[in-house]
Amino acid sequence: MVDNRLLVPLSETPTVRQTVGYAVQSGLEDADELEVHLVVALPYDAEVPEGEQQISEAKQLLSKATRWAAEDAGNADVTLETEVLGTDEYLFGPRDYADVFGSYADEHDVERIVLDPEYKPGVTSSILQPLERELDAVGLPYDEAPVERPARHERLVGTGTERFDRYFALFWISFGFYLVLGDPTYWFDLVTGVAVAGIVSFSLANVTFSFPLHRVESPLRTLRFAIYVPYLIWEIVRANIAISYVILRPSMPIEPVVTRVDARVRSGLPLLALANSITLTPGTLVVRANDQRLIVHTLIPPAREDLFDGSLERAVRFVFNGRAAARIPTPRERGDAEIVGGDEV
Amino acid sequence: MIPTSIEEIFLLAAALFVLLAIMMFYRAVAGPTTQDRLLAVNVLGTNTVVILALLAAGLDEPWFLDIALIYALLNFLMAVAISKFTVERGGVL
Amino acid sequence: MIDAIPMGEQLRFAAIVILVVAGLFFTFVSAVGVLRLPDIYARAHTASQADTLGAGLALAAVALALGWQHATVYTVLLLFFVFITNPTAAHAIARSAAESGITPVTSEPTATDGGERADDGPADSSPNTDGEDGSTGGGGSA
Repeated sequence: MVDNRLLVPLSETPTVRQTVGYAVQSGLEDADELEVHLVVALPYDAEVPEGEQQISEAKQLLSKATRWAAEDAGNADVTLETEVLGTDEYLFGPRDYADVFGSYADEHDVERIVLDPEYKPGVTSSILQPLERELDAVGLPYDEAPVERPARHERLVGTGTERFDRYFALFWISFGFYLVLGDPTYWFDLVTGVAVAGIVSFSLANVTFSFPLHRVESPLRTLRFAIYVPYLIWEIVRANIAISYVILRPSMPIEPVVTRVDARVRSGLPLLALANSITLTPGTLVVRANDQRLIVHTLIPPAREDLFDGSLERAVRFVFNGRAAARIPTPRERGDAEIVGGDEV
Repeated sequence: MIPTSIEEIFLLAAALFVLLAIMMFYRAVAGPTTQDRLLAVNVLGTNTVVILALLAAGLDEPWFLDIALIYALLNFLMAVAISKFTVERGGVL
Repeated sequence: MIDAIPMGEQLRFAAIVILVVAGLFFTFVSAVGVLRLPDIYARAHTASQADTLGAGLALAAVALALGWQHATVYTVLLLFFVFITNPTAAHAIARSAAESGITPVTSEPTATDGGERADDGPADSSPNTDGEDGSTGGGGSA
């Protein structure tokens, strides 16, 4: 029986190789035997269209990591366990990841986590709390692998075609923007535009798109977003008229209430779109966005009812995941919406 | 004065926007919290952008729009930067 | 004088006037809200949202007046920019207030049905005061 167990969450980063190496090496320092649990946590459940592909990518990464670990272990007695986590649930932000790692650690009696410093739990947006803090909350000791970290801008994410797609998309977006500001018929602007767009796409493509682009899905999302904009404007105008009416009345019958809504949209761009749409609609204001948990300040009851009916949430799901994804129960029906006290903010 | 041309309408509207901006200036001065002032200044900034755009159309000076664009950028950056620095942890956005 | 202007121009003129007046109205609402509402969170509602719509409408009027030319593109860009950044800034400010420990003024929420009735009921009883407030915004801009 081995009592020296390590949990190593993996993701496709430039430092993942070094992390595995460090985990094996540090684990063997004070013991002869070692059990390394290599896990990949998937952000979404397998039901989403790209779920199957993600699982197979995760398995590939695990088999690579197993080979690396075996290589590093040499003659030492190292047992390797692999696991794909989160296939049956919807991991949203660092908190969910920390919970999943915590329960996995309890189940397999693991005492320590070795973290890849570049580890990215799913598609984190910058408003989410870092994984480290969440791991502290779960009470799991962790150890950051001392890797030589390559400068971030040199990070090459994705395969060749994926990288090309990003450069291609950003090149045309920035070139188009340049010509909108300049004069599309003037040769000088065309030449400088190509140069500027080239520099921008080369240097910023990996920063702009922190998620892989899809050749069919991404233009389709843009198109659906174009359908969404008029709907949003209509909602804004409607809500604005309602709120003008309340504010201009001398009695001013406002009813400020803090509510909590658990949004069922993905982190990153969809969450940003939803939170901004909610804030743009008068009467509702997103105060905090911790993972998918939105703390929303609502000013008048009709706005609160609209928020609990989740029409904007459905619209955002339509934009990013298509028509089928939009058919979900309202937050009220799911029990994901409640009124909380003012101390919650 | 009854405005007859589009230009006059824009100039009159710009003047009224200035009046509204002065109304909002009260909140920027009175506060009471830093965030209240910040919010008021942010709204004032948006108003300034609109006034610049209205003047661009009213006075037929299209280059005012360049200033409006830059002003809008700075206004946004200012709001985010100040709210970030009023918080100790710096984790606003 | 108006007779000399072609029909399309008259329509455009009317649309511009309507947009500018609506823009002024919503900015007025925003200003009143900023002055009247009780705390920072409530103020953020009107300050950043009624104002966004007001700014949007006024910018749309400018774009319409400029017609099909290069400066219009700038105005449309400005419009999009205001619509994207204003809620983000409002969120940042509200979050900053929350982090600084400012608790919002809250009232006891009424029940779903009751809330709607309470909102509709007094509406009929005070049309005069509403008219007054509305005409302050509209009258000043005409």
